[in-house]
Amino acid sequence: MPNNQNILMPIMSIVIETTDLSREYKSYQKPEGVMNSIKGIWNREYTSKIALDKTTLQIESGKIIGLVGANGAGKTTLLKILSGLVTPTSGDARVLGYRPWERKNDFLRQISILLGQKNQLWWDISPVDSYALLARIYDLDLNKTRLRIKDLAEMLQCSHVLNTQLRRLSLGERMKMEIIGALLHEPKILFLDEPTIGLDIVAQENIRNFLASYVKEKEPTVILTSHYMDDIATLADRLLLISKGNIVYQGTVNEFVANSNKELAQDDKVDFEEVIRRFLETESRIR
Amino acid sequence: MKKSFAVFWKRNLAFAKLAVVSNLEYRLNYFIDVLVQPILTTGIEILLWFAVFKGAQSTTIAGFGREFYLSYALWSAFFARIASSWMYEFKMIEEVSSGTINSLIVRPMGFYEYYLSQLMGYKFITTLISMIVPVIAAYYYDLPTHFSRIPLAILLCFYYLILVHTISFLVSCAAFHFTKITSFTVAKNLLLWILTGELFPLDLIPGVWRERLIAMPFSSGVFLPVGYITGRVELPLVINGFISVTFALIILNLLGAWWWKKGLDSYAGTGA
Repeated sequence: MPNNQNILMPIMSIVIETTDLSREYKSYQKPEGVMNSIKGIWNREYTSKIALDKTTLQIESGKIIGLVGANGAGKTTLLKILSGLVTPTSGDARVLGYRPWERKNDFLRQISILLGQKNQLWWDISPVDSYALLARIYDLDLNKTRLRIKDLAEMLQCSHVLNTQLRRLSLGERMKMEIIGALLHEPKILFLDEPTIGLDIVAQENIRNFLASYVKEKEPTVILTSHYMDDIATLADRLLLISKGNIVYQGTVNEFVANSNKELAQDDKVDFEEVIRRFLETESRIR
Repeated sequence: MKKSFAVFWKRNLAFAKLAVVSNLEYRLNYFIDVLVQPILTTGIEILLWFAVFKGAQSTTIAGFGREFYLSYALWSAFFARIASSWMYEFKMIEEVSSGTINSLIVRPMGFYEYYLSQLMGYKFITTLISMIVPVIAAYYYDLPTHFSRIPLAILLCFYYLILVHTISFLVSCAAFHFTKITSFTVAKNLLLWILTGELFPLDLIPGVWRERLIAMPFSSGVFLPVGYITGRVELPLVINGFISVTFALIILNLLGAWWWKKGLDSYAGTGA
């Protein structure tokens, strides 16, 4: 007799797990003036900044996590460590069972990171050439990849620019191309760092709608950072609020709104962005 | 094992094609690079040797006549172009210092192989076109050239190119710590200008330094292949060239692997 509970309830496994994960950055402090520049040749003063402070968290598969915090709060650092871009100063993390900073190919084949402020595709060639290259890098079937590009481009309404050199595309078109590139190998974990930054409202909404339908269909685990709270409110299942390198809230969006400001939560016109802003301001003062 | 090699091979072939596709996007730049630059370099070096012989009031230098030096100048300009990678070295440094390397290190591929294959792809197509200049000139002016030796000479130069790329890789690793390091590339290239034998044949250097410089792997870039084609050098020295490059590759690749890891450990994921 099969267990009915197992049939009805999807089994959620933990795909991202961190323990006391920390990262410290050192930076050179240059006092004003030419003399100090000369002095800096042999004597430099460095200051340390803790970008991420002993962060412990668990993330279940198939969830969209909205990672929210002020500039410099540590959200991009967390994203970079989890995707293998940056090595932590201390602590441990497992993503799909791998230590990300060891950058094993089997791990890298299962993730994708989209940095809204950086091009991931090749600037001097057309997106279709970039995708052909990505197909080789990820060892994908070329015919299936072509079909997938066609489908994704139709969903994003950008088929007409697939053969245009990337540098000649508008910001919105470029971001759509970047999204296709990031999804080509059907990653199990998708790191999205401000995917709608700099886009107009219509383009933001297009990308948001696309991501929502893609995630519904493919169910990857998504870590999303954005300064646009509409992105988070529309897409995220869960919230991770980060302030001065510390995770200050983990839970669902609805719970957060209800717990952090009951008065506003009862109001039909509750402003999600305002609630988050107040919460982070309070946390910032405490720390 | 067989499958993983096939994947590796296809991936690197795709990187080589990327170099061809992206360079052909800019046609004028490409043709100036593969034709105008080598013609100018060859012209300058030939004029230099004309001046040297006129000033020397002699028909031979170190036992070789003017035609030998003109032939050396002609072929050294061609081989020196194959044996240099400053353009890709600048790109590699820029990737690290600007943070565009982010898009490479989160993909299942290596930074070293990615640029090596691009370099090889680019050099292959430029060599095919650039070679027209010295071949025509050598025929037309009947300069001393062993045409049958060209394939082995080119092979040695391409083998040396892997070493050049490994040095570029080491320099780009330094960019993790020092950010801007392009002045080192310029200084290093000036040194290689002499050590490879591009500026003048290494067998003109007097005393014990001649043997030492020829025994170094850098002579495999220009002096040994050009000397082999023009008759200054015989096969045993060319074989020595392959051996010394192999030793250098082993040592520098071990150093590179260690330094790359150190660099990535300190990397802050710039710019994102």
